[in-house]
Amino acid sequence: MRLLIETIGFGIFSGSLISLGAVGFTVQFGISNVLNVAYGAFITLAAYLGYIFVNDAHFSLWPTIAVVAAIVGVLSATFNRVLTRPLARRGGSFVAVLVATVWSGITLQYIIVSIASPSTFTYAVPNGTTVNIGYFVLTSTQLIVIGGAAALMLLFHGLLTRTQLGQAMRATAVNPVVARSCGIRIDRVTDVAWLISGMLCGATGVVLAATTSTFDASLGTTFLIYMIAAAVLGGVGQPYGAMIGGLVVGVSTQLTGAYLSPAYEDVAAFVILVLMLLAWPRGLFGSAASAAKRLAG
Amino acid sequence: MAGPPSARTRQREPRPHPSPYVRTERPISPFAYYATIILVYIGTDLIAAWGLNLEFGVTGIPNLAFIVFVASGAYTYAVLTVGPTSQFGGAETYIIGGRVPAFVAIVAAVVVSGAFGALIGLTGLRRLRLDYQALTLLIISFVATGVVGANNSIFNGLDGLSLIPNPLEFVAESQRAWVYVGVVAVLCIVTLFLVRRLTDGPLGRALRAVRDDEDAATAIGKSVLGLRLLVQGIGGALAGLSGALLAGFIGGWSPSAWGYLETLALLTAIIIGGRGSNRGVVVGTVLLLGAFLQGVQYLPAIGGRPDLIFDFGWIIVGGLTIAFLFMRPQGIFPERRPRYAVGESDAGGGASRRFGLLRGSGTPNRTSALSADARTNEAASSGVAVDGGRDDEVAERDRVALAGVVATRARTEQAASYADILVVEGISRSYGGVRAVDSASFTVPKGSIVGLIGPNGAGKSTALGIISGFIRPDAGSVTFAGVDVTRLAAHRRARRGLVRTFQLTREFGKLTLLENLLVAAREHRGESLFGALAGRRYWGAEEELHLERARSLLELFGVTHQANKLAANLSGGQKRMLEMMRALMLDPQLLLLDEPMAGLSTAVADRVEDACIGLRESGVAVLLVEHELAAVERLCSNVVVMAQGNVLVEGEMANLRRSKLVQEAYFVG
Repeated sequence: MRLLIETIGFGIFSGSLISLGAVGFTVQFGISNVLNVAYGAFITLAAYLGYIFVNDAHFSLWPTIAVVAAIVGVLSATFNRVLTRPLARRGGSFVAVLVATVWSGITLQYIIVSIASPSTFTYAVPNGTTVNIGYFVLTSTQLIVIGGAAALMLLFHGLLTRTQLGQAMRATAVNPVVARSCGIRIDRVTDVAWLISGMLCGATGVVLAATTSTFDASLGTTFLIYMIAAAVLGGVGQPYGAMIGGLVVGVSTQLTGAYLSPAYEDVAAFVILVLMLLAWPRGLFGSAASAAKRLAG
Repeated sequence: MAGPPSARTRQREPRPHPSPYVRTERPISPFAYYATIILVYIGTDLIAAWGLNLEFGVTGIPNLAFIVFVASGAYTYAVLTVGPTSQFGGAETYIIGGRVPAFVAIVAAVVVSGAFGALIGLTGLRRLRLDYQALTLLIISFVATGVVGANNSIFNGLDGLSLIPNPLEFVAESQRAWVYVGVVAVLCIVTLFLVRRLTDGPLGRALRAVRDDEDAATAIGKSVLGLRLLVQGIGGALAGLSGALLAGFIGGWSPSAWGYLETLALLTAIIIGGRGSNRGVVVGTVLLLGAFLQGVQYLPAIGGRPDLIFDFGWIIVGGLTIAFLFMRPQGIFPERRPRYAVGESDAGGGASRRFGLLRGSGTPNRTSALSADARTNEAASSGVAVDGGRDDEVAERDRVALAGVVATRARTEQAASYADILVVEGISRSYGGVRAVDSASFTVPKGSIVGLIGPNGAGKSTALGIISGFIRPDAGSVTFAGVDVTRLAAHRRARRGLVRTFQLTREFGKLTLLENLLVAAREHRGESLFGALAGRRYWGAEEELHLERARSLLELFGVTHQANKLAANLSGGQKRMLEMMRALMLDPQLLLLDEPMAGLSTAVADRVEDACIGLRESGVAVLLVEHELAAVERLCSNVVVMAQGNVLVEGEMANLRRSKLVQEAYFVG
C-alpha cells in the first residue's frame, strides 16, 4: 500500500513534467501539422545548457530555467522557420518532414555529444528537503515542480482562451487557410507558437535533468517516447489532452517500474501509445467533428 | 527516470564490429580481412536496402523499424544454429542448442522475418496517417532493443549471442571469407533480379499507385491492405536474409548491432540514391553505408576521443539527408517511368484544335461526339465545315469505339433479371450526432443516367461514399447488380464494376497519364506475386491488350499527346479526364461521378457530358452528382434531390425546377 501511494506520488511528479513537455509537442503539431521528433533533442539541449548555467556559471536552478527556456524557445522558432515550414511548403510529404526532424534530432544530439563528451552529468543542485503529505513522500523540489507545471499550464490556458493571440492560435490550428483569410498573420502566429512550445521544452529539459541523478545525451530521446504517448493519449494537437495524458503516462510508467521492472518503463509508455493508436487514434479528447472531416474527406 | 542507460539509444559503433571470438588469429592477410568484411557488409546492406526500398520507396510504407526485421532474422539464425554448450557457458547452454544446419536456419530466418513483417503490417488495418505510423514504428525500434536487452534467457540480453556458426564451415578457413563474399554477391544478384520483377511490372505499378494515393487505389479495385501486407512480408523476408547472412559472417549478434539508427542510415541511402529506384539504392548504399559509415571506423581517433569520429559521421549523414530532402528529394537517380509509344494523330496539336471545336456549328441537340480531334482532322482534310450529318457519323463511330473499350461487362448484363443496377435502401450515417445521410432510398435503372442533386451539405458525397464502400453506413443496404454489397469492401465493389470518381481529383502523381489508366486494369495477371515473378513472358500479352484499351481511351478523350507525362504535372481539366478514363478502364457497369464538371472550362465540360452520353448508349449506368443543373437536365432521365440527408423528391429535372420543395431546399436549406 505504502509502495503504491509513494509510486503514485512520484508518478504525479514525473507526469507533470511529461505534461509540460507534451503540451509543447502537441502545440507544434496542432499549429503546423508536424510531428517534430527533434523535440527530444531540444530537451537534451536544454539539459546541457542548464548544466552550463548551473555548474559552470553557478546560477541557481530557477533563473536557469527561465534563461534556458528563452534560448530554446528562440531556437525552436528558428528551427521551424528554416527547416520544417520551408520543407512542408515545398510539398514535402508528412513522412519527409518527419524524417527531416528525426535526422535533425540525431544531428543535434551528436553535436551535443561531440562537444560535451559522452560521459554522464549531474546538476550541482540540492535535492530539497523531504516532505510527507499523508503517505506521499516527495522532495520540496518535486513539489515546486508540480506546482510550477500546474501554474504554467494555467497560464497557457489563459493565453489560449483569454488573449487575442490565443484565439489566433486556435483558429490557425483548426484551419490555417480560413484563418489567413480572416486576416490572421498565420506565419507570425506559428512563430509565436513554436517559441512558446520551445520555451516549454526548455523548461522541461532543465527540470528533467536537474531531478534525475545523472543524464547523458540520450535523455531527451527516451523522454520523447513518454511525451508522444501522452500527446497521443490526449489526442495529438489537443493541449488539454496532453496535460491529462502526461499524468496518466507518468503514473502508469512509474507503477510499471515499481511492480514489474524499471527496464519496462518505456515499454509501458509504448504500450499505451500503440493501444491508443490502434483503438482510438484521435485520442481521448479528439473531437467527433475531426472524425467526420477525416471520413468524409 | 528513463530506464536503462545510453547503450540502447546511442550507439558508439555505427556498425557491429566483427566478433572478437571468431578470429583470434587471422588466417588471411589484413587487407583481405578488412576487404571481405566491408564487402559482406555492403552486400547484406544492399539486400536490406532493396527490401526497404520496396516498402518505403515503391509502396510508401514508412517502415522506420526495418532493422528490427533484420535483427529477427539474425536472432533466428543464431538461436537455431548455436550448439548446446559453449566455452562461455551462460546463455548459450540455455538455448535450444539445435545445431540446425545453416542452410535450414537461413531459410527459417527468412520465413520468420517475413511473417513478422506481415504481422506488423496488420497494424495497417487501422488506417493511420503515414507519419503517425512512421513514428510508431520508430518507437517500436527504440523500445525493441531495450526489451531484447532486458531478456537474458534466449537472446542473452545486451551481451548478445556469440559463437554463431558460419554457414560455410565446410570451406577451408583460409578461403572462407572470400567464398562468403561470393555467396553474398550471388544472393545480391538473385535479390535484385526478384526485386526488379516485383517493382518494374504491373505489380510495381499497383504498389506505386498505393503509395501515391491509397483511396484512389482502393477506388480502382486494389486491395491496399493486401498489397501492403505482401510488400511487408517480402521486405521482412529480405531483411531476415540480410540479418542471417550478417550474423553468420561476424559470428555474433547483440542489441548494439541493430539500433534504430541503422534503419535511418538505410533510409538515407535510399533517399540519396533515389526513392523507388533499385539502381539508385545501389549507389546510395555503396556510397553511404559501404564507403562512408564503414570508412569512418578505420579513421584514427581525434584528440584522444575514439567516439568523436562516429559522432561526426552521424552529424554528416544527418546533414546530408536534410540537404537531399530539400534540394533533391528525388535522389541522384530518380525513379524512371516507362514511356509508351502512342498514336501520332495529334502529337503537337495546338490547344485550339483540341478544345472548343467539339461541336459542329449550332448543333442544337447534344448527341454524342467524343473525339474533337478526329472530327476536326476530318474537317480540315476535307475542307468542309463540320456539319450535322458528319457529326452523327463521327459520333456513331466514337460510340462504337467507346462501347468496345469500356462496356464489355455492361453489354452482357442486358439480359440480366434485375431492372435496376443499383438499389439503395434506407442508408443512414451520422457523425457525432449530425445525420449526414438519414434513411435515403433511390434506384438507378441499368443503362441510365440518374442525377443526384441537392444543396451543399445535403449528404450527396456521403451517400456516394456509402454506395462505393468508402463509408460504412449505420443502417440500410446497397444492392448492386442484384447482389447485396452492403458489407463488401470498397475495392471489391470496384472490381465488380461499381466504380467511383472523386470530387477533388486524385491522380497517381508519380505515374504517367497512361500508367494511371493501365494500373486500373482489373485482374491483371501480372499483379499477383506469382505473375510478377514469372515475368513479362507471363503477363506481356495481357499488358498489350490493356495498353490498347488505354490508348483508345486517350484518343477518344483527345489527350494522347500527354500520355507519357507524369500525372502530377497535368492541368486540372486533364486530371478530371484522367479520373474518368481511369474509372472506365475498370469496365464499369455503374459509374459514380462526383461533380465531374466542377471547375472545368465549357469545352472540357462538354467533353465529359459527351462521354456520359456515350456511356449510356453503350449500356453503362451513371449516377451523377453535379451542381451544373443545366447539364443534369440534359443528361439525366431521372433526378434525385437530397436535402439534409433525406431524399426529398425525384423526377424529371424540368418538373423539379417548378417544385416548391426543391426551391426551398436550395434557397432555405
